[in-house]
Amino acid sequence: MSDLSLAFAQTRYAVRGFLRDPTALGFTAFFPILLLLLFNAIFKGSTNFNGGHVPAPSYYTASIISYEIMLVSFASLLVRVTTNRERGLLKRFRGTPMPSWVYLFSEIARTFIVVVATVAVLVAVGAIFYHVHLAAHLIVGLITYTVAGVFCFSALALALTRVTATADAASAVGPLAATILAFLSGVFIPVAIMPSWMLNLGKVFPLEHMARGLQTAFLVPGSTGVTGTDLGVIALWGVVGLVVAVRNFRWEPLASGER
Amino acid sequence: MSTSNVKVVDRVVSVEDLRKSYGDRERLHGISFEVRAGEILGFLGTNGAGKTTTIEILEGYRPYNSGSVSVLGVDPAHATRAWRNRIGLVLQECELDPVYTVAETVTIFSRYFKRATDVAATIEAVGLSSKANDRVGQLSGGQKRRLDVAVGLVGDPEILFLDEPTTGLDPIARREMWTMIEGLRDAGKTIFLTTHYMDEAEHLADRIIILRDGEIAAQGTAEELSATLGHQTAVTFDAVADLDPEDLRIALDRHVTVRDGVVHFETSDVQRDLEALLGWARERHVTLGNLQAVQPSLDDVFVQLAGESVRDAREVGP
Repeated sequence: MSDLSLAFAQTRYAVRGFLRDPTALGFTAFFPILLLLLFNAIFKGSTNFNGGHVPAPSYYTASIISYEIMLVSFASLLVRVTTNRERGLLKRFRGTPMPSWVYLFSEIARTFIVVVATVAVLVAVGAIFYHVHLAAHLIVGLITYTVAGVFCFSALALALTRVTATADAASAVGPLAATILAFLSGVFIPVAIMPSWMLNLGKVFPLEHMARGLQTAFLVPGSTGVTGTDLGVIALWGVVGLVVAVRNFRWEPLASGER
Repeated sequence: MSTSNVKVVDRVVSVEDLRKSYGDRERLHGISFEVRAGEILGFLGTNGAGKTTTIEILEGYRPYNSGSVSVLGVDPAHATRAWRNRIGLVLQECELDPVYTVAETVTIFSRYFKRATDVAATIEAVGLSSKANDRVGQLSGGQKRRLDVAVGLVGDPEILFLDEPTTGLDPIARREMWTMIEGLRDAGKTIFLTTHYMDEAEHLADRIIILRDGEIAAQGTAEELSATLGHQTAVTFDAVADLDPEDLRIALDRHVTVRDGVVHFETSDVQRDLEALLGWARERHVTLGNLQAVQPSLDDVFVQLAGESVRDAREVGP
């Protein structure tokens, strides 16, 4: 078996495991759909975006998609890798001839597959129930930010596993970080009614740029929403995460004293 | 060079003057031993003796400070993928993912190895055929542990490292594990087994090494250990009123103690001393209640080597 086919086999195995984990499935697949339905039930009609009135359902479809990309790539991956490390599974894998990259590839590939599937469902919900129009420029923006977002947030999750010693810690840190960033980034609350200092703080982090880019793609006719600045900030965070992850990744359970 | 090749075949593991420190504290103080092809080596010690440090060095997980270590002719500190294809691991703490079935778990691990054995045969070898399609999360503790062994065996390793395979198991699961390990021994597997149960080492291992505070306290077969440690048979009987220990001491020429109403002495010549004791009792018209002459068990050997005296340990009992 070649390493590449082993990597695909390991990915299939990881996806199958994800589908059998009701917590992970509920948290990353059903929860965002529920959020989308809830926000659209609360914020009906239109909202302000870039000085103009835009349909609230399109705003929230774009927002919840960006939140979902972070939830799966960051929170879920952080919890999964930390859990497997705490179980001693990563150490176990490390003791087999399987190359390290095969395991990391399989986890990131699994993340990408889950993101694509759940984002497709969210887009479909938006298109069917909320008249979100699937134009070509929107699809280009969606694909660009999905790929960039999975790269960036997966790298940050793997970097952060260096400090999340236990599955419990990861389960607290991951979703909490995603939720706070979502508030700072105008994901849950329309940017038009947010204080400017909060928006400026949000701009430091990658979620703001992904959310703004996707909102533009969904709301501004003819725009892909892809700008050099937005993509650059996301890529920069991703590269920093990757460097930290590569240099500090731990395969053995972290002793409670070792942080 | 030809002689060193022969060594590789004979000695699967060869360790000389191995030292390992964590920070300022040295945990392994220069230990030397070997594991020969086809044998089960029992590596015995209490918690903190250095068992896990040693096995993890052999498994390629830990660097060491000095000495030389060779496993299958390779220094585990420079573990290669080819080498990992030849060794099998059963870690002390590893919880396999509960969402997969037994067969799926063994199958994915089999894909990591170049010369993997048949998955169904491996599951059969650990006695889990009837559970092949059950989820790992539904298995009992003993079954999970045997699945760990299956995962360690599926690469058809030349040496299997078993790190405390029965710790935490109930007595029945423990016996089942023993039966399984005996099956592996009969199949000619070379096994490095760590345990803190003397009876386990005695039952399974061809040779035993007892580790204490990072040093080898004793090594040999179970028989050799009991013999060379010069253990003496303990003779005890109920003390009678007006017994004078000094009188008995003179009659036997042994160190006699009386504690909690029990007279106790140790001897290397049971027959001579029992004759003397019975003669002494007849002369003084003393009835020796509850007279016992007890051979030390390997457990006693271990307990004594591990730092406590046999006598102290006995007093804990009823």
